[in-house]
Amino acid sequence: MTTTSTTTPQVFDNYLNHTKGIRSWLFTLDHKRIGVMYLICVLSAFLLAGIFAMMIRFQLLTPEGTFMTQDQYNQAFTVHGAIMVFLVIIPAVPAALGNFVLPIMLGAKDVAFPKLNLFSWWLWVFGLIFFLIALGVGGIDTGWTFYTPYSIDKASSMGGVIPALIGTFILGFSSIFTGMNFIVTIHRLRPKGMTWFRMPLFLWATYATAIIQVLATPVIGITLLLLVIERTVGIGIFDPAMGGDPVLYQHFFWFYSHPAVYIMILPAMGVVSELIAVHSHRHIFGYKFIAYSSIAIAMFGFLVWGHHMFTSGQSPLMNVIFSIITFSVSIPSAVKIFNWLATLYKGSISLNTSMIYGLSFIFIFSIGGLTGLHLATLATDVHLHDSYFVVAHFHYVMMGSALIGFLGGIHHWWPKMIGKMYNENWGRISAILVFIGFNVTFFSQFMMGSKGMPRRYATYTEMPEFQIYHIWSTAGSTILALGFVICAIYLLHSVFKGKRAPANPWGGRSLEWQCSSPPPWDNFAEQPEVGDCYDFSVLEWNETEQGYNWRKDVAHPGE
Amino acid sequence: MFSILTSLLTTTSQGAPANFWLPKQASTVAESVDLTFFVITWICYFFFFAITGSMVLFMIKYRRKGHEVVADGPTHNTPLEIAWTVLPLLLVVVIFVVGMRGYLNLQEAPEGSYEVQVTGQKWSWTFDHPKYGATQVAELTVPVNTPVRLLMTSNDVLHSVWIPDFRVKMDLVPGRYTSLWFEATAVGDYNLNCAEYCGKDHSRMFATVRVVPKDEFEPIMVKLASEYEDMSVGELPAYAINRLYNRCQSCHSLDGTTGTGPSFKGLWTRVKSGDMLFTSGERLSDLYGENTTYEVPENYIRTSIVNPQGHIVQGYLGSMPSFQGQLKDKQITAIIEMLKHLDELTDDEGNITVNPDGAPRQ
Repeated sequence: MTTTSTTTPQVFDNYLNHTKGIRSWLFTLDHKRIGVMYLICVLSAFLLAGIFAMMIRFQLLTPEGTFMTQDQYNQAFTVHGAIMVFLVIIPAVPAALGNFVLPIMLGAKDVAFPKLNLFSWWLWVFGLIFFLIALGVGGIDTGWTFYTPYSIDKASSMGGVIPALIGTFILGFSSIFTGMNFIVTIHRLRPKGMTWFRMPLFLWATYATAIIQVLATPVIGITLLLLVIERTVGIGIFDPAMGGDPVLYQHFFWFYSHPAVYIMILPAMGVVSELIAVHSHRHIFGYKFIAYSSIAIAMFGFLVWGHHMFTSGQSPLMNVIFSIITFSVSIPSAVKIFNWLATLYKGSISLNTSMIYGLSFIFIFSIGGLTGLHLATLATDVHLHDSYFVVAHFHYVMMGSALIGFLGGIHHWWPKMIGKMYNENWGRISAILVFIGFNVTFFSQFMMGSKGMPRRYATYTEMPEFQIYHIWSTAGSTILALGFVICAIYLLHSVFKGKRAPANPWGGRSLEWQCSSPPPWDNFAEQPEVGDCYDFSVLEWNETEQGYNWRKDVAHPGE
Repeated sequence: MFSILTSLLTTTSQGAPANFWLPKQASTVAESVDLTFFVITWICYFFFFAITGSMVLFMIKYRRKGHEVVADGPTHNTPLEIAWTVLPLLLVVVIFVVGMRGYLNLQEAPEGSYEVQVTGQKWSWTFDHPKYGATQVAELTVPVNTPVRLLMTSNDVLHSVWIPDFRVKMDLVPGRYTSLWFEATAVGDYNLNCAEYCGKDHSRMFATVRVVPKDEFEPIMVKLASEYEDMSVGELPAYAINRLYNRCQSCHSLDGTTGTGPSFKGLWTRVKSGDMLFTSGERLSDLYGENTTYEVPENYIRTSIVNPQGHIVQGYLGSMPSFQGQLKDKQITAIIEMLKHLDELTDDEGNITVNPDGAPRQ
């Protein structure tokens, strides 16, 4: 374990400059480069879907709608949702950050199957291409849920449905392969000293996520394939005109898509566990409860899909059963929050950009999780279902929590990935703008939803009383967009003009902070031995390097 | 904060007005639904302020000044962790039970509820009152303080009835029946929205629920069922397209697309010229004239409604049922007049452009 940043030559060999040329990136087997390519792709898709989000918000400034027709609006919310879910949030933390960090955290040279890893990335690209084809050949207006029979009705839904379904099918494989890769990597490539309960919590979260990816995603694959066949040939499985059952489609769809919510949120929770511990230099509180709660969420997550269907016509008995199981998921989520708070207690809390995102996550996820209680409760869900209350709730969870966890992770590991420091002050300003903008945008949506505003409405001429909430929401989304633009500017600026990053700028204890920033091509010459990755007492601040070093008087594990 | 407090207090009275979170209460179930909502909301306030409050406190109190690495404090405390696992569990069980009881209340319509049959189709609502033989489109009139059960289905894709002021919602699924019930507690007009995305004009799929005093309800229904009787021939087309066409709609389009039966668009022109071939091989124009089957074109349409199997147009299966006895003579006349004046009643895309009284539709 001598690869710490004792000396930093002006230009040293690292994964970014080890080989050159575009082909050395597109066909690389290096997990770090694949992670960076995922990051670039996911952020580009985020920009695209974000533009659609802004179109939606500006359309709704007036009850009659400002600039889109009904059809255009229906396309805008469908494309926004489908891209955000399948191309951005699901791959964001596992594929972009996970790929980069996971093998280094294990002290490994790569994931277990590097070629499969590259293939996953290419599948993502093909998935994107099919989505772009869908936009080109007539668009999609089914909503990201592709509900039947609308999605199989060629006369009314648009021509891009089949390419979009194929794209989603392909993205499913990308997700399955990433999950498989991570499961095997965590099982087989853990270093000496890293027992299951010494893994960084990010790895527990990634592991739980990978289980869901491998077990749930095949179901959506089959479902979408059936949908393609139903739409082209007409086999009568979902089409009521041929004796099929449209509610069956909803069961199939949510059997994947509810666990998929945990594919989005669990890895972000893993990131937050790291953020909270590292940036308060405090041993994570209740390690085992946090680790087990990730597994519990993954398991319970499979049994609650029916709560999306309380008003679909499924039997009252099933509704009651799904309601009680749904409540059970709230417990492990609450446990995580309490443990994070206890970690902050008596910590040494640095309010840097990453930590602002981490604390934002706790704030926003509290609201997102608690409003889930209204929706799990049968009597109130009947009223709230398919209203803006639901829209606000899942944006608090999927955007305010999953994506903000992702942003926190980007800032946390940016110096490691790029080898440069970003401007901390602009980072803080941007993070605070994102926090304020997000809450203004979506809190107003809770209020209009419970008051009676249905979702997926291009106009609301009969309900002009909701205009004031929409104006607030649009104003908030503008602040949010400003926050993201500032973030993009200072991050890009740091790539070219940023200060050289030390190996360990935050005082992290897990293995990725023990190799140089950016890491060498092969991460570690030999796999290091590890101890307790949340014991920060072995570190000390080094003024010349502007980073943390291993204390001279403390031996490395295994030495 | 104060507004939230006052709003909580006001919800406890019957028929409370809109408050910070919820619209006004106008059905018997609204009060208990709202009570459940506010119990949960107050639990949320408690946990939210406890969580964020302690978070902000720790942020300030334990803010890092320099570059300290060591922070003490416990790494775990099993009794505490078990406590904050079990206590929320008990709490959510209570919420579940309260919510389930309220829900089961929403499910069972009382015996003898007044029944309305609801059909959703892109993008309009049709309400049939079997008891009076009356049909309403985009408007549902019900008596106050009377349990009403909606028996619902869809002609095309999924839709969902949502009446926010009543706190009720249920999807309409093609090929099966679903139902919901409510008892309105106050006379007035209430929004009914489609809550399940159904395509282009989803956001325009709107209806008004008109809750009227009990003694006014029956006269309204009787008038609705017989309103055509006093109409002049000139008023009949607008009546027919609004009140009768919904029964034809699933098979006969207005925009020229072929369904189970021929489109109504341009149908009158073809009938008048007799430009139609039947499965029997006969041509319609050969059947016109004195002492023939139909004498005048109007008779052909009339016969097609009361005895659809008589002559079936080539290319169709002839699956139309007879409307003998279901439509009065004047209603059949109204349909014939509607076909004659279809251009004045619809736009090029087959959207209906007039109201029952003949005024242009918004």
